[in-house]
Amino acid sequence: MSHVETSSGVDVRGVRPVELVDCDVHAQATEAMLAKYLSARARRMLERYGRRTPRVTEWYPRARNAGMRVDAWPGKPGQIWGSDPETMRAQLLDEFGIDYAVLEVLSGQDCYDDPDFAAEWNSAVNDWQLDEWLGFDSRLRGTIAVPHEYPELAVAEIERRAGDERFVAVLLPASAAEPLGARKYWPIYEAATGNGRPVAFHTGGYVDHRGAGYPSFYLDYHVGNGIVMQTQLTNMVSGGMFEAVPGLRVVLTECGVAWAAALIWSLDAAWELMREDHPRLQRRPSEYIRDHVWFTTQPIEEPDDPQHLVWAIEQAGLGDRLLFATDYPHWDFDSPKQALPRALEAPLRRAILCENALELYGLPSERPV
Amino acid sequence: MTDVIDCDVHCAPESYDALFPYLSDYWRQYITEAGIRLNGVAHAYPRGVVAPAPPSYEALAEHVPDLAILNCVTGFETHRNPYFAAAVASAINDWVRDEFLARDSRLRASVVVSTISTDDAVSEIERVGEDPRFVQVLLPVRSDLPWGHKNNHAMFAAARDAGLQIGLHAWGRAGKAPTPSGFTTTYLEDYLGNQPIAQAQVLSFVSEGVFERFPDLRVVVSECGFAWLAPLLWRFDKDWKGVWREVPWVKRRPSEYVHEHFLFTTAPAHLSGDPAAIDQVLEMLDGPGILVYASDYPHDHGDGLPALMDRLSEEQRHELMSGTAAKLYRMTG
Repeated sequence: MSHVETSSGVDVRGVRPVELVDCDVHAQATEAMLAKYLSARARRMLERYGRRTPRVTEWYPRARNAGMRVDAWPGKPGQIWGSDPETMRAQLLDEFGIDYAVLEVLSGQDCYDDPDFAAEWNSAVNDWQLDEWLGFDSRLRGTIAVPHEYPELAVAEIERRAGDERFVAVLLPASAAEPLGARKYWPIYEAATGNGRPVAFHTGGYVDHRGAGYPSFYLDYHVGNGIVMQTQLTNMVSGGMFEAVPGLRVVLTECGVAWAAALIWSLDAAWELMREDHPRLQRRPSEYIRDHVWFTTQPIEEPDDPQHLVWAIEQAGLGDRLLFATDYPHWDFDSPKQALPRALEAPLRRAILCENALELYGLPSERPV
Repeated sequence: MTDVIDCDVHCAPESYDALFPYLSDYWRQYITEAGIRLNGVAHAYPRGVVAPAPPSYEALAEHVPDLAILNCVTGFETHRNPYFAAAVASAINDWVRDEFLARDSRLRASVVVSTISTDDAVSEIERVGEDPRFVQVLLPVRSDLPWGHKNNHAMFAAARDAGLQIGLHAWGRAGKAPTPSGFTTTYLEDYLGNQPIAQAQVLSFVSEGVFERFPDLRVVVSECGFAWLAPLLWRFDKDWKGVWREVPWVKRRPSEYVHEHFLFTTAPAHLSGDPAAIDQVLEMLDGPGILVYASDYPHDHGDGLPALMDRLSEEQRHELMSGTAAKLYRMTG
């Protein structure tokens, strides 16, 4: 069927081409919202002892609007930033004409909990996504929260959710109890790949010092999220997981993009010197990154000369690997209208804003109006 | 005119025997009874693949250009006992002075200090810092607290008073995991791990206001690369614009402090094989003025330096090979 556009971009079949996919949106649940999905035993544990996870916001207080867009507070009883679908629909989906938004619920990310509790808690996150979000608006997509420190339980959760195509990826944190390339986590990567899902690693998770000791400020901590991901990507490549799980696709989320070229050059140079130590690696590190790694854009780096960002993208070969993201409702929200520099030419802009995500997540390129 | 200043050359005592003349009876007995050995910082420089650092002037002499700065990283690994760390740091400085500096006027050195106790670091800087052959204070990039932290500022005051700069060098803190997810499992990760850790240190010096308090202080980052710097600063500036109220003593954009106060050695120069991309990196860095030459003898980081040098003008090469360092350390040949 030919595509016949009307003046509003809607064709006569009542569909419109997809133009904007947001690959990192934070629906945020309160404990009460998740507690109703827990067993009586787990709920009692939660009520009596609480989570074993100290919130990172307690020791790195977000230095701006408690880390949120100040206008994103729903002002409804029992609701917090990111918990109310109607507020998000108005402020994000409708405001910017977003065709698909991928939810990343971080409630299970920093899980130091008992295995049984961790499994229930992450399953509750997924139930809540289904009940409150994925049925609320057809533009929303979910990611499967898993108890990642207990891979066999994580695999079970992936299998449980994989039949629902609205879950487009498996969500893991950028820091865990072991480096992300550790063999411990490979069963999770195999299960995700076997079920046709990429693994999205989102900034956050286990927050230990980072080799230089604990920074004093949220400023360092937050800029440092990009630094942490460099360490993790190095570990992923070096440890051989891309050889072990050939179809694996990973999405590095909210960690920046412009550092990729420098890391790729370092990895290739070091590998040339140390190939004997990496018998599992059949190819140069840059080739694994090229085949297996995607990046979300927010918070996009902002050089004084925007052309420098274009160079950084080209140097790392990321033109078809970048996925636009807003990070709604966080304070450092990247607006679809302003975040990408004008120096990006139209085809690259289109690829970042929608085409790369459609291909990665297998989303339809048209959607009903 | 000085043609070549090598900003990072290594030397290391082969065993504690070399340091015994500079240690008290107590520490000699402590070392002997505990059977403590120097292993050439083997986890950082595995003997199977990295040549050992010269243990004597004779072994080093032919690798000294017009001027060279000696960095002895042996002290990075001296355990958790703060008293021992201070004693070893002093012994290393005395050994470097007698074995190397006294024998060749082309040599300069970094002051080795305790990386555990600021008080001891200050005392050591005061003890040897007046000797003009010591040009900077040597700190490992791996630390318990980021170096910009206020607990360390007394050390920077002592360095300033003695006319010393700061040398921040790869490695350190053996036995402490270098990543938020614990230990690395391959040497490649550990080796490259110095680069992200150095990035965290750059953030710390700026965000803690070190350069507002010590406006003449310069930090030379060795063996940690530099191609990562520009993208780091793009994000640092962006985040600072959002949360500057958290660090009100940071009065200007972070990138301005970094360009004024940091220098990076050329080893390793991990760069693209495409000369056009090297040109782009140099432009992103606002030119090569932030780089100073280092051989990092005896360590090998691949062949990035010639590719970098090919992209520089005659004048830029001179600045990188010696001009910038000569001004920094107020040295002439």
